[in-house]
Amino acid sequence: MKRRELLVAMASLAGCAPQRRPRLNVFNWSNYVGTDTIPGFEKESGIEVRYSIYESNEEMLAKVFGGNSGWDVVFPACNIVGPMRESGLIAPLQHRWLDQLGNLEERFQHPPWDRNLDWCVPYMWGATGILYNKKLQPAPEAWADLWDERLRGRMTMLDDPTDSIGAGLMKLGLPLNSVEPDHLDQAKLALLRQKRLVRAYLNAEARDQMVSGDLLASQMWATTAQQAMEASGELAFAYPSEGFPVYADCGVILRESQRKQSAHRFLNYLSRGDVACAAASECKAATANAKARLLLPEALRNNEVLYPPETVLKRGEWVEALAAAGQRKRDRIWTEIKSG
Amino acid sequence: MKALRFWMLAPSRALMGGLFLAPLSIIAAYSFLTRGTYGGQSTPWTAENYVRLLADPLYTLILARSFWIAGLSTMFCLLLGFPLALFIAQSGRRKNLFIHLVMLPFWTSFLVRTYAWMFLLRDTGLVNTLLQWAGVTGEPLPLLYNEAAVVLGLIYGYLPFMVLPIFSTLDRLDKGLLEAASDLGATPWTSLWLVTVPLAMPGIVGGCVLVFIPCLGAYLTPDLLGGGKSMMIGNLVQNQFTSARDWPFGSAISLALMALVMMALWTLQRRQKEDLL
Repeated sequence: MKRRELLVAMASLAGCAPQRRPRLNVFNWSNYVGTDTIPGFEKESGIEVRYSIYESNEEMLAKVFGGNSGWDVVFPACNIVGPMRESGLIAPLQHRWLDQLGNLEERFQHPPWDRNLDWCVPYMWGATGILYNKKLQPAPEAWADLWDERLRGRMTMLDDPTDSIGAGLMKLGLPLNSVEPDHLDQAKLALLRQKRLVRAYLNAEARDQMVSGDLLASQMWATTAQQAMEASGELAFAYPSEGFPVYADCGVILRESQRKQSAHRFLNYLSRGDVACAAASECKAATANAKARLLLPEALRNNEVLYPPETVLKRGEWVEALAAAGQRKRDRIWTEIKSG
Repeated sequence: MKALRFWMLAPSRALMGGLFLAPLSIIAAYSFLTRGTYGGQSTPWTAENYVRLLADPLYTLILARSFWIAGLSTMFCLLLGFPLALFIAQSGRRKNLFIHLVMLPFWTSFLVRTYAWMFLLRDTGLVNTLLQWAGVTGEPLPLLYNEAAVVLGLIYGYLPFMVLPIFSTLDRLDKGLLEAASDLGATPWTSLWLVTVPLAMPGIVGGCVLVFIPCLGAYLTPDLLGGGKSMMIGNLVQNQFTSARDWPFGSAISLALMALVMMALWTLQRRQKEDLL
């Protein structure tokens, strides 16, 4: 009997493709949609969505690099969109199927990595700054304050070369995306000097240690910092005075996709004010959608960690794609810092 | 008979070929390619990855540190594991119970157990809380995020791999030999050194190999308990496949590491054979 069940199951699996509802395969960051986002889309479009999540750009890239991953829509960070386009991995967007792009904030309608949104639809964004305990007085205001002797053993930096080397560069007044060997060497020396103060190079794990009071300061992403601040009233967040990295995660359609129209429909749906608002308020991430932001509850809309005011935001620098030589130099430096 | 043997072995041959040799050849091929502009791999074919690994003292340093940490962990595992194995081998009817206790940690994942150590060792963790409560220390001790924590985590994780092979040789040890030694006037210490240890040598060597090799390639423990501050060779390989997106270099490092380990094992095996002759 079991064997027969198996055969029936296999037959129905093999036969399902042509008869079933249209499908769409979406691969997105973890905690990036609301509970109703996907069911809502399935209900109104009749398209069945296979939704799966990833934790880093590299994880997603490794899967789609071969060109027959089976995914239709993925969400690379803004500095990955250019490389994906040049590697022929993503398809150009058809604006006639995207009537909701006008909802995006002005600066996301013409972002530097894709001037006319020919390839991607910005979805959520975020920045890197300093999460600190209010006990720490005077409060840190600049990357340079993370070189303070008082923080010895009570401070973490991100385990991410872009952010950590970026902080070293910005502390020295150099551009975040520099690939000048001389700039990178200066940043390396600064970070090696800082290492004896650093407790560890951690990403999200630093959040719990900030909440528990083990740590006094952490280089941290605003979204993660917001979660920590909700868990503990002792914490505050600073956007460093020298400048800070800004990221945006954008929806793109893979070139390999056989369901480009459905994929456009999905991206258009995500750009709707109500949909983007529900996702942003549930995930506590910063939406790139101006209409959605207006719909957010007051407290979240005016949250200065997620949405720093214009005067602060102008210090931010977009994280950019780096040429291979610069990337390699940076990796060598990062290896040296971590093993020094 | 011959045909039967062929067909019985076919599945494992297919498994080894398809899931071990084929991926290994792909890694070998990648290691002679060049990193694409944005990751991936492309021609030209080159030995540059190996040159880079050997010529840069930074990578030699990381390799040396990995050998040091793995060696230290193996030594401590041996010092802790041998007495434990001896105790279990001599504990008669409760032997099976103890062996099951040694293997008990395998019932949960290594990742979860490593996280448990993080909770024990952190500033507000159990160990520091107890020490402060007992008045041993005023300030929390920095127990986490250093090389000692990495070694501790590795000893904890791989101790069973040392205990089991030593136990299996000690368990089969002929008690008559020990009685004979004692009859001939050997103290318990002398018979331990001159009878038990030499007879347990295959288990000791096997245990050391089983502990040393995974410690050498460890990447989870240095990341979680070392806080990413003392990179080991496993982390270097991992970084090439993730943030650096340099698969060819990552492949070259892992193959070089594999070659080193195989050379070491081969030398060990030859020396053991010579000892037997």
